[in-house]
Amino acid sequence: MGMSAEGGQGGGHSNEINVTPMIDVLLVLLIIFMMIIPMSRKAIDATLPDPNPQVQTANSANDQIVLSVLADGKYKINQDEVDRAGLFAKLRSVYDPRPDKIIFVKGDSTVTYGDVVYAMDQARGAGVKVIGITPGPKE
Amino acid sequence: MGMSLSSGAVNASPNVTPMIDVMLVLLIIFMITIPQLNAGFTATPPQGQNLKPSPEEDTDQVLGIDASGQYWFNKALIRPEDLEQLTRNTFEGRDESILYIKAHKDLSYDKVLKALDVIALGGVRVAALISDQTPGTESLVESDRMFTKGGS
Repeated sequence: MGMSAEGGQGGGHSNEINVTPMIDVLLVLLIIFMMIIPMSRKAIDATLPDPNPQVQTANSANDQIVLSVLADGKYKINQDEVDRAGLFAKLRSVYDPRPDKIIFVKGDSTVTYGDVVYAMDQARGAGVKVIGITPGPKE
Repeated sequence: MGMSLSSGAVNASPNVTPMIDVMLVLLIIFMITIPQLNAGFTATPPQGQNLKPSPEEDTDQVLGIDASGQYWFNKALIRPEDLEQLTRNTFEGRDESILYIKAHKDLSYDKVLKALDVIALGGVRVAALISDQTPGTESLVESDRMFTKGGS
């Protein structure tokens, strides 16, 4: 380009820092951040209970798996109690041979939302596809 | 300008100062708007590992429940008794009834469940519980790792 030739003639007068690459990098970073901020949201999809349940058919309840979140870090898969650390392995052993990857999650009234989400999270990791929420007590 | 008159063409590089000004202003605007996006409502969602990416879209409806149990529907504070009517109006005639729930992680599950029951009455079928990825972990579910919306 012309300017570099002129700069050469001037005998090394252009002692300014070349900021153009820095601006390029900054612009790219800016664009990347603009893209990432809305894209990075994550969630766990949970199916809500039917507010107007039909009369329950007798055989539907037979092989359902209900994960109960109990107080002080205990979890119960149907009737088997497991602790927080063993939950994932247990869920995995339950869901690996099962064709239907449905779980119902039920929370004790003393547990926090974070505990329940932890349980759902572990269940998803163990291969569960559909997470159902059991309805709360009727008022 | 003075520099073009000077002999020897010493200052031939483009003047980038205005561009830097603009960029700095943009940067500041972004720094200001990002907290503004959650203005009024703050909640620390729970952390998890096996989460499904769900990129934000304009049509998303978000119910926030903050640490004191107040409801925020799309970042506006609402009264608990209005929630059912509001969801009913919002989801009337939509095929996809997903409501995003952003709730504080230390809330009692009772409170969240109560909200979930109410929005179920309002016609919501799927509640997407917004969570943060635990730093340094990756989902074990294959469809989550591909950066797509599919999976369910």
